Amino acid sequence: MLAILQSEWFKLRKSKIILILFVGPLIGLFIGLTGNLIDVGEQMNQWYSPLFMMNFTYATLFLPLISGVLASVICRYEHQEGGWKQLLALPVTRGKVFLTKYLLLVLLVLFIQILYLGAIYAVGVIKGFTDPFPLTIVWKSIIGGWVATMPLVALQLWLSILFKSFAAPFAVNVIFTLPTILAVNSERFGPYYPWAQPFSMMYVGGSTDDVFFIPWDQLLTVVGGSFLIFFLCGYIYFQRKPI
Amino acid sequence: MEYIIQTKNLSKKFGKELAVNGVDIRIAKGEIYGFLGPNGAGKSTTIRMLLGLMKPTSGKVAIFGKDLKSERINILKKVGSLVENPSYYPHLTAKENLEAIRKIVGVPKTRIDEVLKTVRLQDAANKKVKGFSLGMKQRLGIATALLNKPELLILDEPTNGLDPSGIIEIRELIKSLPEKYGMTILISSHLLSEIDQIATTVGIITKGKMIFQDSIEEMRMFARQYIKLKVSQHEHAWRTLLASGMKAELEDGHILLSDQTDQHVAEAVQLLVQQGISIYRVEEDKKSLEDIFLQMTKEELAG
Repeated sequence: MLAILQSEWFKLRKSKIILILFVGPLIGLFIGLTGNLIDVGEQMNQWYSPLFMMNFTYATLFLPLISGVLASVICRYEHQEGGWKQLLALPVTRGKVFLTKYLLLVLLVLFIQILYLGAIYAVGVIKGFTDPFPLTIVWKSIIGGWVATMPLVALQLWLSILFKSFAAPFAVNVIFTLPTILAVNSERFGPYYPWAQPFSMMYVGGSTDDVFFIPWDQLLTVVGGSFLIFFLCGYIYFQRKPI
Repeated sequence: MEYIIQTKNLSKKFGKELAVNGVDIRIAKGEIYGFLGPNGAGKSTTIRMLLGLMKPTSGKVAIFGKDLKSERINILKKVGSLVENPSYYPHLTAKENLEAIRKIVGVPKTRIDEVLKTVRLQDAANKKVKGFSLGMKQRLGIATALLNKPELLILDEPTNGLDPSGIIEIRELIKSLPEKYGMTILISSHLLSEIDQIATTVGIITKGKMIFQDSIEEMRMFARQYIKLKVSQHEHAWRTLLASGMKAELEDGHILLSDQTDQHVAEAVQLLVQQGISIYRVEEDKKSLEDIFLQMTKEELAG
């Protein structure tokens, strides 16, 4: 499987679209630097102010959207000129190809998250924050956002394999991502809406009793459940897809 | 006899339509097997099933004597393929395309230059495949198929869209592979002329059914020959020949003699000359394999 992963990374690396990895963190950086920081009061750590602002736009919109686009990108060149049949006539199983593509996407999202962490830190340094960097909180936020994106990536991978067009999976992604802004404000729907989970899990103001900012049962049922459904649907679909 | 490819009653149904109907392919080691049939006859579907890209509705595929269903990965390690239109990654150069595949098949990097040289694409190695002509893309496809030094090479319509010089070049290349590397080759085409000169065995498929499978020599036996005479007063000449008990046919103002022994031809000519009929031409008329192919596939359609 390592061989397939290397091949996948090679194909992706050579496409210019790879620069999209930097879009989310750069937007975060931009918002953090230009926005008027909300006054978080004396008691709170200074770092929370940019975190609140940056996280909102980044986690509700850009993180889900860009992970979806990445999924489309790594399927696009297979759709274009018979890549699927060439790839699947090699000594590989479909299961491993699917798993590898998913793994690569998840690693890329982690990379984006780490860049974003860098963006947060850069904002604080540029603004000259004197409070200690809340490393534990931020790490929770970064890893939590990553975990919450996993089901969305699985869905997008499935749709990107299903549709030859670049636009169709993206449209689905937008349709589900936009209501997040409303969902996160709803106490009733927010916890159950998979697209709202990246925000919820990155929301540094959330409860810190659990490992992440959302309760374990929500993590397991909503994030874990939607991951299982999307991943299995995509996996099974790919096994049966006529090439 | 040990076969490299052997299928048993291979069938594929799309909805109600039987695209491939009980096909038994047998390809022995070292053969160049010409897989012929009109467009839509089921060639590509069969090839897809041979590579495990598509699951057969019924029937079995054995390659290298192993069951494809249970040993697909081990089999494909020794197979190189080009299915229908050449497949490639348009955003990569020729070399990068090969590199992406090489990482998976795990051969040394030097192999890339070797196959590029084999298909004579070295000069375009660092150009994006997007801008390649169809012929160059086909050659890259063949290079990709050769990358893992396969024991079995499956080429689906490899000369499709090539210009005549390209076709000859590819033909020479394919022809040389069995002797040089001991490969067995399956090559499909809808034009017999394209594989006429390279195939050792021929399988003809039409409407999903295999209607002929034998050596190319056996197929050539179907090529009935005639002696064709162009004469004045052909109607009169024909009757004269028939009257003297010779077998002759009249076709488009020509007389066709099916008995072609020297003696017979001499007698016929002599007879006609004696009757004062002018003889303009005496020539051998060989039915081309293409005609036979068309005839076979047509008969099947009619029947």
